[in-house]
Amino acid sequence: MTPEPHPGSTALVPLALVVNGDAVRVAVPAERTLLELLRYDLGLTGSKQGCDKGDCGACTVLLDGEPVLACITLAVDADGRGVETVESLAKGQKLHPVQTAVVNHGAAQCGFCTPGMLMSAKHLLDGSRTPTREDVKQALSGNLCRCTGYTKILDAVEAAAREMAEARGGD
Amino acid sequence: MLPLPAFEWVSPGSLDELVRALGESPGESLLLAGGTDLLPNMKHGLFAPRRVIGLRRVRELRGIAETPAGGLVIGGGAPLDRVATDPRVMARYPALARAAGLVASPQIRRMGTIGGNLCLETRCVYYNQTAFWRGALGGCLKKDGPTCFVVPQGRRCVAAMSADTPAPLIAYGASVELVSVRGTRTLPVAKLFAGDGVKNNVRAADEVLTKVELPPPAERLFSAYEKVRSRAAIDFPLLSIAAAAVLDAGGHVVELTVVVGALGALPRVVRGLEITRAAPLSREAIDLVAEAAHTQCNPLSSLGAEDWRKDIVAPVVRRALAGLAPSRIAG
Amino acid sequence: MATDDEPHPPWRIGTRAPNIRSFDAVTGRQRYADDLTFPGMLHAKLVRSPHPHARIRSIDTREALALPGVHAVVTGKDMPVKYGIIPWTQDEYPLALDKALFVGDAVACVAAIDEACAARAAAAVHVDWEVLPSVIEPEAALAPDAPRLHEGHKHGNITKSVQLSFGDVEGEFAASAAIVEGDYFFEGTTHGALEPHCAIGIWEPQGVLTVISSTQVAHYLHRELSRVLGVPYDRVRVIQPPIGGAFGGKSEPFDLEFCVAKLAMVTGRPVKLLYTREEVFYAHRGRHPMKMHFRLGATADGRLTACDAKTLIDGGAYASFGLVTAYYSGQLVTAPLRLGAYRLDSTRVYTNKPACGPKRGHGSVQPRFAFEVSLDKLADRLGMDPIELRRKNVLEAGERTVNEFIIKSIGFRECLDRVEQASGWKEKRGKLPFGRGVGVAGSFYISGTNYPIYPNAMPQSAVQLKVDRSGRVTVFCGLSEMGQGADAMLALIVSEELGVDLEAIRVLTGDTDLTPVDLGGYSSRTTMMAGNACLRGARDLGTRIRAVVARKWECPARRVALAGGFATDREDTARRIEIGEAFRLAEAELGALAAVGSYDTPKDVHGDYRGGTIGASPAYSFTAHVAEVSVDLETGVPKVEMIWAAHDAGKPLNPMLVEGQIEGSAYMGYAEAILEEHLVRPDGLHRGPSLLDYRMPTSLDTPHVHSMLVETADPEGPYGAKEAGEGPLHSTIPAIANAIFDAVGVRIDTLPFTAGKLLRAMREQREKGGG
Ligand SMILES: Cc1cc2nc3c(=O)[nH]c(=O)nc-3n(C[C@H](O)[C@H](O)[C@H](O)COP(=O)(O)OP(=O)(O)OC[C@H]3O[C@@H](n4cnc5c(N)ncnc54)[C@H](O)[C@@H]3O)c2cc1C
Ligand code: FES
Ligand code: FES
Repeated sequence: MTPEPHPGSTALVPLALVVNGDAVRVAVPAERTLLELLRYDLGLTGSKQGCDKGDCGACTVLLDGEPVLACITLAVDADGRGVETVESLAKGQKLHPVQTAVVNHGAAQCGFCTPGMLMSAKHLLDGSRTPTREDVKQALSGNLCRCTGYTKILDAVEAAAREMAEARGGD
Repeated sequence: MLPLPAFEWVSPGSLDELVRALGESPGESLLLAGGTDLLPNMKHGLFAPRRVIGLRRVRELRGIAETPAGGLVIGGGAPLDRVATDPRVMARYPALARAAGLVASPQIRRMGTIGGNLCLETRCVYYNQTAFWRGALGGCLKKDGPTCFVVPQGRRCVAAMSADTPAPLIAYGASVELVSVRGTRTLPVAKLFAGDGVKNNVRAADEVLTKVELPPPAERLFSAYEKVRSRAAIDFPLLSIAAAAVLDAGGHVVELTVVVGALGALPRVVRGLEITRAAPLSREAIDLVAEAAHTQCNPLSSLGAEDWRKDIVAPVVRRALAGLAPSRIAG
Repeated sequence: MATDDEPHPPWRIGTRAPNIRSFDAVTGRQRYADDLTFPGMLHAKLVRSPHPHARIRSIDTREALALPGVHAVVTGKDMPVKYGIIPWTQDEYPLALDKALFVGDAVACVAAIDEACAARAAAAVHVDWEVLPSVIEPEAALAPDAPRLHEGHKHGNITKSVQLSFGDVEGEFAASAAIVEGDYFFEGTTHGALEPHCAIGIWEPQGVLTVISSTQVAHYLHRELSRVLGVPYDRVRVIQPPIGGAFGGKSEPFDLEFCVAKLAMVTGRPVKLLYTREEVFYAHRGRHPMKMHFRLGATADGRLTACDAKTLIDGGAYASFGLVTAYYSGQLVTAPLRLGAYRLDSTRVYTNKPACGPKRGHGSVQPRFAFEVSLDKLADRLGMDPIELRRKNVLEAGERTVNEFIIKSIGFRECLDRVEQASGWKEKRGKLPFGRGVGVAGSFYISGTNYPIYPNAMPQSAVQLKVDRSGRVTVFCGLSEMGQGADAMLALIVSEELGVDLEAIRVLTGDTDLTPVDLGGYSSRTTMMAGNACLRGARDLGTRIRAVVARKWECPARRVALAGGFATDREDTARRIEIGEAFRLAEAELGALAAVGSYDTPKDVHGDYRGGTIGASPAYSFTAHVAEVSVDLETGVPKVEMIWAAHDAGKPLNPMLVEGQIEGSAYMGYAEAILEEHLVRPDGLHRGPSLLDYRMPTSLDTPHVHSMLVETADPEGPYGAKEAGEGPLHSTIPAIANAIFDAVGVRIDTLPFTAGKLLRAMREQREKGGG
């Protein structure tokens, strides 16, 4: 039932992109998704696959700073662009405030939704305003979590927002 | 993993290149804007194009600009998130901003475009399934077989227009521009759609939807959008209502348009609303409109929960009309 | 006065320490099965049946094998040995041998160089099917002329039927002032763990088979792999990497684990198989659909007299845990309230659908819904407040339930008090405007099952501990960490007992080569069993270390406390040494430092009737919930505004992690009440095997869960701890049902409570009222 591939169309497409600050040159078949590129070609397995078709948010990464679903993004469409994954959040030994908050609030149980959740949260927190709880709910509404019931995740992101606002010297 | 079928990738850098690339082999090529509809469908084995043409690098498709008359032109490649949060769209066309802002999820709104939304494949519980599932079913009228499982005796596919933005765009009287090697044509959004679930738009295979043009809002234009879905995010509409009303200085109806989405292949414009003209939009008038919508709209099992959806047409229309928000020209 | 039993005042137990695993989770370093690759690894795909019931005439694998990149294809004939989690009801083959029993049943498996190639090859495997008539509805399965799923099975399409009676049921009903009787239907739901199942098989030339799998039951998988594949028990290794949620959905062996093992043996190369999301829905083992008929009586002053429960359980194609399910569906409604008499009659049948199994609250969530709604109706009939009615019947510690389980600790009364107070129950119940209401429900759950799945006299759980001169402690245990914080629980106990910081503790779990046996992550057994085993081992080590330090200090051992990173003289706290120093002293005097600990359950906690052990547990947790719900009167859309959940988990070892379990449970209960439905169509097809169609709540849907911990000191649990992972789900659904009644005066006795059902019920009610 799966459609037959067109023979001869699997020529590799060369790409140059920036992944977590590193310039990366690879050649992939056009049908490779960004998630497959990250996980299986580049070994960046932090981004997860929960559905592989846009329904769960586990594969959320930032593409040119915006949260997108890597499982329904073609790797070739990320040519020339910047990708950030969960692996980029900590700087050296220092965790990002939202990572610390998730640890301290017990907001990661199985942890499978966590990388995607963190990338959506990071994008929200990078904005200038300190978000309300409703804003946090909205920003995370494309990331399913099956373990936590969201309460502690919302608490953690709010706490990180407060901490980042303080670090900035108030809002 | 759901492997994608193989294809050739083309990523033109300008509209001219794009139109030519598409013109070369229109029947074998598919356009990819955000890909949020096309790629899940390809993973389901619904399409296996020889060529996929990416729109991202085509600058002419981006951006939101003012028309001299005070309307807006939205590029076909404008992401839904931009449409939802653009201050001009929010002020002048609040129902459109709301509809775009209620699509799917934050990530999908950043990827998905208004062009892709207007050209969204129709949806049906028998169609949006994996190749294995459809094989087990035996294939439906829309794709692989002779039978419609929604209307067993039906000859025509009733898969539903499930996008959020068409209804408000129709209510605002918007138009789209389609460009191909053969030329350019403009048509009202209402005319973009056709009543066939297999292909519910009149876009020819070689045409690109380049822009959506919204006429300047009339004075005292009020509009609203209501979306019904099971889940508060990551969910297509089960029913959607867009309403636009132009009132005169005394609050009397000059023109009232109500558009219902997610019924069949075609967004439905509720007929017979002239009866509301020249009178205030009173409780009674609203009830009349709701009743008209209720009788004219028959949700099908293509999206499930059809009895309930029928039951709530009237209350949701009432809710939309009770929540009409003004268009603010300045802003 | 310090005693040897109480080495020191608690310093770690009861603190909100971070889960030691969460650092890996937040940095993306946590490696789940699909994150692992091995040199030369092949990828496998399953070929599945498109028919609900069909005989396999033949399978032609030639075209698939001829495709470039394809290395092997296996079919049922390659592994013709039945397996199943319950030794008495083994009815599955790794790949269907003669017949496929549901749409999605696996019949062949291919290994190829990559997933796409494997998928193409799977499509090129041709099966010659003889389609057979199928049974989809459980009643139809019982018909004398119904097609039989398991032809050799003695009892037709019945997996298991249980009839038990306790006390004088008819006499108690006769003494009742009110009896409510009703039918309830629980449509099935599924686990929806975010990580799809994944397994990797590795064959080593010396004859060792390793399977890395996202399983909750490494030990049972170990046994079954050995038996089915004929590899000696001592040459099979099962490794459970971190898993992305399970909730019961990964608690028995599956086709993929046998297939990667067999394909690795055939090809000599590592083989990985990752389910697609659709396949996860076919693997299922989710909550059983149950049709329940409940009668419940009470005297005028609210004493519960008798309960009579008759339940038809739709099991799907295979037995799975079904024997246990049949018992649980009856046995687990007998607390926290005292019943005068009780009769149960539960029958689980086979149907041509994905097999049902244990989902969080195995077997008991459905009857709990029926029971708690019956109670609410009874309260209504008696004119009593539903919380009062419950209060009048609460069991006491030390009492036996009507079916003879012994309750050693119970904090249910306080659970009721807490939710009553926190929710503002007295101001709200029956007093909110039409369209808004509150409802209450209570429940209990086991902290592990008293008996292992296969009969044996060995411990249910064991740990090994290793202390080394660096100051580090390593604990080894076969338990299954799946996000619930089991590893963190072990670390907490080691830290508490040996005084070391959490950072100095390594926890190694879920590897049958390296860790002593624990039976796995099911039935909320881990804290009770692995926790007790760990406590014993650690305490043994602590005693020895303290004795060494005491000898050095020339004081009695009871004065030496191991806490906070130091060994300290409790009567002269200025005298202390770093814990690493204490370890070195001990190693110098005693030699290498290690300990083991094991736990087995007490055998006197149940009745000795047939089946009396099933559902018996060393300890029971208790829960009460109040839900506040509003209903949109025009559209019928229900909105759960808030859930107050009070849970007696005994002594919460880490309150933060316990709260997480309560919140996650209440969320999942909410989801089952309002949104989720695992539906199979009359033609045997799953209605929508995707996360788009199977709607799990998002952050915008989920109500706020206000969790409250009620502490009791259970005599059996480690430090008094009991379970928290499953119990708190039970009350959510009936609390919401009862709140809907309070809001709009209608009863929806079938799950889920959709807007469509509500709107119809409200209309019927209006019409009745009007006419
Ligand atoms: C989980 C999930 C939930 C969703 N929920 C919603 C929802 O609630 N509401 C909703 O409306 N949609 C929803 N969608 C569908 C989709 O995301 C949106 O409709 C989106 O706007 C599609 O835009 P796109 O740019 O991604 O389209 P693509 O996938 O890139 O394209 C869609 C179709 O339009 C064609 N096309 C795209 N751009 C053009 C153009 N400029 N000219 C001509 N043809 C073009 C493509 O060839 C393709 O056939 C959902 C999708 C997913 C995966
Ligand atoms: S894996 Fe990408 S959305 Fe689920
Ligand atoms: S922590 Fe398990 S899915 Fe979110």
